[in-house]
Amino acid sequence: MGLKAPCSTIPADSKQEETKDGDAEEYGAVAMVISATSIQGQLSIHTEEGGESKSLIAPSYTATGSSRGDKVMASFKAAYNESLRDALQRAKFSFVLTDPRIHDNPIVYASDGFLEMTGYSAEEVLGRNCRFLQGPATNRRTILEIRDAIREERACQVSILNYTKQGKPFWNLFHMAPVYSKEDGRVVHFVGVQTPVKSTADHHESLTTNHECFCVSSSHSLSSLRASADVLRDGLADVEIDEEHCEVGQADEDKSKTSVATIFGELKSKCKGAGVTERKSTTVSAGFDGGRVVCSSLMLSLTKIQQSFVLANPHLPDTPIVHASEKFLQLTGYTREDVVGRNCRFLQGSDTDRGTVQLIGECLRAEKPCTVRILNYRKDKTPFWNLLHVAPVRSNAGKVAFFVGVQLDVTSVEEPCSEAETTPNIKQLGAVGAVRVAVRSLQGEGLRRMQKNP
Amino acid sequence: MLTIKRIPTLVSIYQDTVDRPGCERSCLGMCCIPGAKLPVYAFPGTSSKDHLSDSDDCIPDAGGDLFLNEVILAQWEERLSRGLFRYDVTTCETKVLPGDFGFIAQLNEGRHLKKRPTEFRVDQVLQPFDSKKFNFTKVGQEEVLFCFEMSTSEGSGYSERMVVGDSPNVVVINVSPIEYGHVLLVPKLQDCKPQRMDQESLRLAVNFAAEAKNSSFRVGYNSLGAFATINHLHFQAYYLAVPFPVERASVKKIASSKKPGGVKIFELTDYAVLGLVYESNGVLEELADCVSQACIALQDHNIPYNVLISDCGRRIFIFPQCFAEKQALGQVDPDILDTQVNPAVWEISGHIVLKRREDYESATETNAWRLLAEVSLSSERFTEVKEMCVNASLKEESASFQLELLEVEMKHFSPKVTSGKGNRIAAKGLLSDAFAEDCCA
Repeated sequence: MGLKAPCSTIPADSKQEETKDGDAEEYGAVAMVISATSIQGQLSIHTEEGGESKSLIAPSYTATGSSRGDKVMASFKAAYNESLRDALQRAKFSFVLTDPRIHDNPIVYASDGFLEMTGYSAEEVLGRNCRFLQGPATNRRTILEIRDAIREERACQVSILNYTKQGKPFWNLFHMAPVYSKEDGRVVHFVGVQTPVKSTADHHESLTTNHECFCVSSSHSLSSLRASADVLRDGLADVEIDEEHCEVGQADEDKSKTSVATIFGELKSKCKGAGVTERKSTTVSAGFDGGRVVCSSLMLSLTKIQQSFVLANPHLPDTPIVHASEKFLQLTGYTREDVVGRNCRFLQGSDTDRGTVQLIGECLRAEKPCTVRILNYRKDKTPFWNLLHVAPVRSNAGKVAFFVGVQLDVTSVEEPCSEAETTPNIKQLGAVGAVRVAVRSLQGEGLRRMQKNP
Repeated sequence: MLTIKRIPTLVSIYQDTVDRPGCERSCLGMCCIPGAKLPVYAFPGTSSKDHLSDSDDCIPDAGGDLFLNEVILAQWEERLSRGLFRYDVTTCETKVLPGDFGFIAQLNEGRHLKKRPTEFRVDQVLQPFDSKKFNFTKVGQEEVLFCFEMSTSEGSGYSERMVVGDSPNVVVINVSPIEYGHVLLVPKLQDCKPQRMDQESLRLAVNFAAEAKNSSFRVGYNSLGAFATINHLHFQAYYLAVPFPVERASVKKIASSKKPGGVKIFELTDYAVLGLVYESNGVLEELADCVSQACIALQDHNIPYNVLISDCGRRIFIFPQCFAEKQALGQVDPDILDTQVNPAVWEISGHIVLKRREDYESATETNAWRLLAEVSLSSERFTEVKEMCVNASLKEESASFQLELLEVEMKHFSPKVTSGKGNRIAAKGLLSDAFAEDCCA
């Protein structure tokens, strides 16, 4: 039947999170994806769409057709006109756009100024989370402040110690702000503007040098290690480094403010559809508050779960899917547009056991978890045995907010017993646990502070 | 002798069971543990936790290996489906109180037991282990999620069933959870250590926090006299995907290592409870050792304290406290005591579990602040305690610096040798004086 999609098998040894080491492997998957079955046909179409864009697009992304690369590329194009790219290229300042709806909130656009300032190439930064700018002396609390703002979908401005590709530290007056869709209130992107703070950066030269010296010698003998440690220590004693405090001058403040305003001006004037805004619209009806749009911070948690699952909202008519994971789309061959807004029953087909379907319905009504082995069908009508685990998931109010359904293709597993009810796989339970933790704190307005100064 | 009366929390189904020798159930006592097979998670022995690898909880696809975060979540969910908990904590309402800090309140009516209060001695931080009282050898094996052991190789790994060693580090559920994934980490369970901090155990707890790679997963510790109720060495941990107010609080640096990425010590400047914050982007064992030295100094001076390990083990908070002492002396307002909130590590950090609906409905940042202000040492007393802690930590920092060098050398010459205790001790003895000037105050 050719049931296994090649790109659904993440390398088993990808122990690190994808952000760090996964990229290269994704590039490596090119040939497999292109030669794949009709399921991957969907993905190829996306590639062509995203492939024609210009200068700043990493060739590795346009060439691969890997779905993450596609999404990174498509993210900019989906929201803005091509003319924006040219307009932004004229801008001298450093900024990035990130997409919180893609796994790990990766950079989907980096300005020339950003690449110049950090020493990285576009290929090296697109598709990666901004945390590569952090280094040994970066303040942990500052990182928390940024995370906190992302979580609460609000703007923030901090001074943060960042590092160039060459390991040189510099103070960055970092301004981050959400870009909201006017249509449904979702966060389309985050804008991150980096304004290097003058005067301190140059002191760091010798620190960097000594640090490198230490690293190199650590593979040699103890005596040379001691020597290098002395060098390191002496070097440090000589240099007055203020890695704790950063004096931000009015000029830098103003520069940052102008940059942010300029970017928002461009984004707003050259966007597609209903448009974008820096303030979340309070009059959005069908979106966020209507329970159809999963907010960006919940999305960030959900995209980390690299398994096939969907969330369905029982408070909307016919309990439609509000989120479908990447792995679910790969397993079933549907696109996100195909499935979001529809009830899960489209997976059933002529040979699906009615009794099993009924059992699921009863459990949902009783707000109880259940596990079944059910015959489901892909978009191309090929059947597969689905070990399906369904569970109610509660919001911070303690009420059922969603049902989560976790799918596992067990077609190749010989299952002697024909009983409908069975036990879930440990992986499926892990996914349910992760969804519970995310939904409890992040769903809707969830556990956010009241916004005092938006 | 100072005592307070409180109702102990039920952490195990077997807490009130009286066992005869030969308990006839699978417990964690010496009657059942030799030869028993339990799930085991092995964490990498050499922990050079990369400061960049801090992205949270990736739950890998069904084909991949199991990571700690996933093992905890999966095993906890499995125990939930078996009905081992006294209540489903996800049905408990929770909210953020209006205000800048964002205190988190939870209404938990099920946690409270309708039992007679027990008397707890609160003026002695170190008390000997008492095998007659409840301890973790009495919990059932079904309450065990897994054992958490240092791997003999580089990587991590999970096995569903393995014969456990003499005295494994055990992760058990708390049957009265205050949030999803609430577990207790009991270092070397069969050693029956009292609730007393030591270097090795704190390293283990920091490794537990770091290996979970999830900033929503925090590890806490309460000393005796600071609302620990079980005198058997243990840490607590659970998931909550919200920053705790104390993590947002402003800090002022008071000491740091000159080493890039080395340990820095801060004090909280605008929080209701005075406390210290230890932070590092570098080797977490060094950070842990600085903190355990401070904790040991506190307990040796009979000062009750709480510890919060946050940010995947990179930020550790220490709060010396005096609430129980004040309570015993009758110096705490009755309306604060009426709420029956016990200010342990989670409450101090800003996550407050309330037992009565009226308290939940009327909770405000001001109320929370008032409660926590009673927990804090006075600023005069804190200054003394702070100096003591920092002095204790700085001694450790220089030793750790040495330790790291020596370990690099050992790895180079004999890659198969895992870092043994003997080597660590030798390292300290040999080199601690030479590098003492490496710390600046």
